[in-house]
Amino acid sequence: MLTYSLKRLAQLFVTVLGVVTLVFFTMRMIPGDPISAMAGDNLSGAALDQMRTQMGLNESLLMQYLTYLGSLAVLDFGNTVTTKLPIIQLILDALPVTVSIAVGTIILTVLISIPLGTLAAYMAHKGHKTLDNAITGVAMVLDLMPSFWTSLVCLLIFSLALGWFPASGTVTIDDPVQLMRRIALPVLVLSMAQIATMARITRTSVLEVLSEDYVRTARSMGWSELRVLFRHALKNAALPIVTVVGLSFGNLLNGTVIVEFIFTLPGIGNLLVGGINSRDYQMVQTLILFYALIFVIINFATDLVYRVFDPRVQF
Amino acid sequence: MKMTRRSWVTSLVAGTMLLGTSLLAPATALAQEKALIVRFYDDPAGFDPANIFRIENENIAFNIFSGLTTYDGVTGELIPDLAESWETDDNITWTFHLRKGVQWQQGYGEFTAEDVIYSFNRILDPATASPYASELSGIESMEAPDPHTLVITLSAANGNFLHTVANYHQGQIVKREAIEAAGDQVRWKPVGTGPYYLESIDVNSQIVLKRHEDYYKGPAPIETLDFQIIKDDATAAIALRNGEIDLLMRQGREEQLQTLEAEGFKMNTVGNYAVSLKVLNLEDPILQDVRVRQAIAHAIDYPSITAAIAPSLQAPAYSILLPWMDVFSEAAPRYEYDPEKARALLAEAGYADGFTLKVLGTSAQGVSEQQQFEIDYLSQVGINMELELVDTPTYNQRRNAGDFMMAGRLLPAVNPDMILFSYLHPDNLAPGGLNGARYDNPELTSTLEAAQADADPQTRMELYAKVQEIAMTDLPYIPATASNVFWPGKQSVTGVNINYLAQVNFWDVDIED
Repeated sequence: MLTYSLKRLAQLFVTVLGVVTLVFFTMRMIPGDPISAMAGDNLSGAALDQMRTQMGLNESLLMQYLTYLGSLAVLDFGNTVTTKLPIIQLILDALPVTVSIAVGTIILTVLISIPLGTLAAYMAHKGHKTLDNAITGVAMVLDLMPSFWTSLVCLLIFSLALGWFPASGTVTIDDPVQLMRRIALPVLVLSMAQIATMARITRTSVLEVLSEDYVRTARSMGWSELRVLFRHALKNAALPIVTVVGLSFGNLLNGTVIVEFIFTLPGIGNLLVGGINSRDYQMVQTLILFYALIFVIINFATDLVYRVFDPRVQF
Repeated sequence: MKMTRRSWVTSLVAGTMLLGTSLLAPATALAQEKALIVRFYDDPAGFDPANIFRIENENIAFNIFSGLTTYDGVTGELIPDLAESWETDDNITWTFHLRKGVQWQQGYGEFTAEDVIYSFNRILDPATASPYASELSGIESMEAPDPHTLVITLSAANGNFLHTVANYHQGQIVKREAIEAAGDQVRWKPVGTGPYYLESIDVNSQIVLKRHEDYYKGPAPIETLDFQIIKDDATAAIALRNGEIDLLMRQGREEQLQTLEAEGFKMNTVGNYAVSLKVLNLEDPILQDVRVRQAIAHAIDYPSITAAIAPSLQAPAYSILLPWMDVFSEAAPRYEYDPEKARALLAEAGYADGFTLKVLGTSAQGVSEQQQFEIDYLSQVGINMELELVDTPTYNQRRNAGDFMMAGRLLPAVNPDMILFSYLHPDNLAPGGLNGARYDNPELTSTLEAAQADADPQTRMELYAKVQEIAMTDLPYIPATASNVFWPGKQSVTGVNINYLAQVNFWDVDIED
């Protein structure tokens, strides 16, 4: 276990360094830089060049890269270009919003899609094609609706027509009630797409184990169908589901970009889009570094959870 | 986040039960205090006049700071601000008589002429790296014979100097002590003499301004201005319709404007605030021929395009200057839609079979309806318009570098010299300046310089008319459309007068019961 952890740690370091380097050079390969992005229409080239020199953007690329690695080594993530605010602080402020949305989405998704997928599998197993097709069909339709569209539809229905949730308003973690009211619709929108994927995966893996011998044995012992389904079938079908939950949590952390924009939520997706648009190299580099770390950690955590479901998994 | 899994689940499941309760009431307003909630449409980037960008930030700064002069929100005229009056005989020596008893915000004492000298020197100081330094570079010396008199001597006559010192960018007066106390956080700690001061800011969601009780014209009617950042135009419209906000700074979507108008909201607006120009690169061998440029202008029917796609947000433009500017000339040539004439001009120039016009645009909105119309109109006279869309930073860079045939530019300005000098004077040739067409006509240059210097109102008008005539004949820039700006709001919100810089002086704004 210790060797395994150390190995993973080394992998983490190499992965993150690779990501950081890739992002550093990719950002600089895209035409335009922070200054030309900021200036818009009313600044001349001479004024721009002066600002560029002041920001060290006229240094050689290698020099800039080394400076960047040096600052990373001492955990200095720098300030944003336009606002001159510490980047790490902005990320830490934005993180709770995005994490709340992602966690809420995962919970809602799991609560709906696992029973639904299991039910669909059971129906398919028993030969009731109609309900199985209905569930799979609805899940497909939900999956195919683009989130920028469902977001606006949800706003029109739940915010404007019914008045249940506000469309705007300040979000702080100090006010959990307000936070939940503000993230309810984004969670709903994101869940719609997630439910489809998750329900399909659940259906497939449960359906597979339903024909296994041990399920038949469980049935023959006279246990109730529910107990057979959830205690035996679902538990054994859980591995792929756990993998998907883990991966989708990672994806959700950066997949909230569109809903954050439409629902005016100050999360990290918002920071990333703003950072790319304003060519804020430092902001994008730090965020990607951050995403890389989260992904590596989630993968690690998923591996650990495997053991809970399948004791045969060895490290 | 201190939320257990159980509380999450409970809340989500029981959400509907909570919905009918008081939790859903809109954010509570303080009963005795007047507060206005305003939509702000992008991330704030700071309010230091020396380094301020973009209209939404300028709107905040406009209410925090003052200039020697400012713009009347209704008429758009230059009016006194910190300077009560001024005089000049030759447009070179300007004497400003400053208002007495003006108080700085946050206890920084009384305003004096020294504050103006400090502010202008700060802009001019290379260490400040202000992009607006060139605006003040004509200042040769500044003196304060007494605390309420300021004498500014220019190196050359400038009849539009009162625009330069208006409450905008370089003209906004700051306080030395406040700047020094703020250190490198100047952009977040603005201190001015205007009607509102910055109370708090969360760059991700909210800007709160409080009224300056000692403002020289008396305190503003509304105590608190709460700017909520809502980036999406559709969401902003829903927030207004829901009563979550009182005033919507800038609605940029035609269909949302129509909905809001139909629902009875007040459509505060300013027309013709800036001309959107097509920049023709004169270094291009084809566009070097003036007949080709005129042919393009005759080929596209902008009045029909604006009427078809954005009748509220856009109006056709006919000249490089706007009709409300004092030196605007009706006599400059106009290019009516005339495809026959366009074809004839092209044939004369040797392009009877047409040519390919490469147009550079931003990808922010995809191919716009206007661009689709342009492609169609140009194809009818044989010009094959090839559209290349790139993202904004790339666009800005290539436009500066001259890597395009036709591009666009929109420069909001009240000062006609700002537009004429930036676009047409050879000192401002790109990439150093904004003359992106790379236009250099000695006749225009000398006329423009004479116009700026002339102290006689009659001669000045004639010289400016001549400048516009030459510019619209040579046509390095084709006027396409003028933008209209809308700030829809509740009927109870009064006094939202948007000036020609698309700014609102919140001292005029009130909420009626």
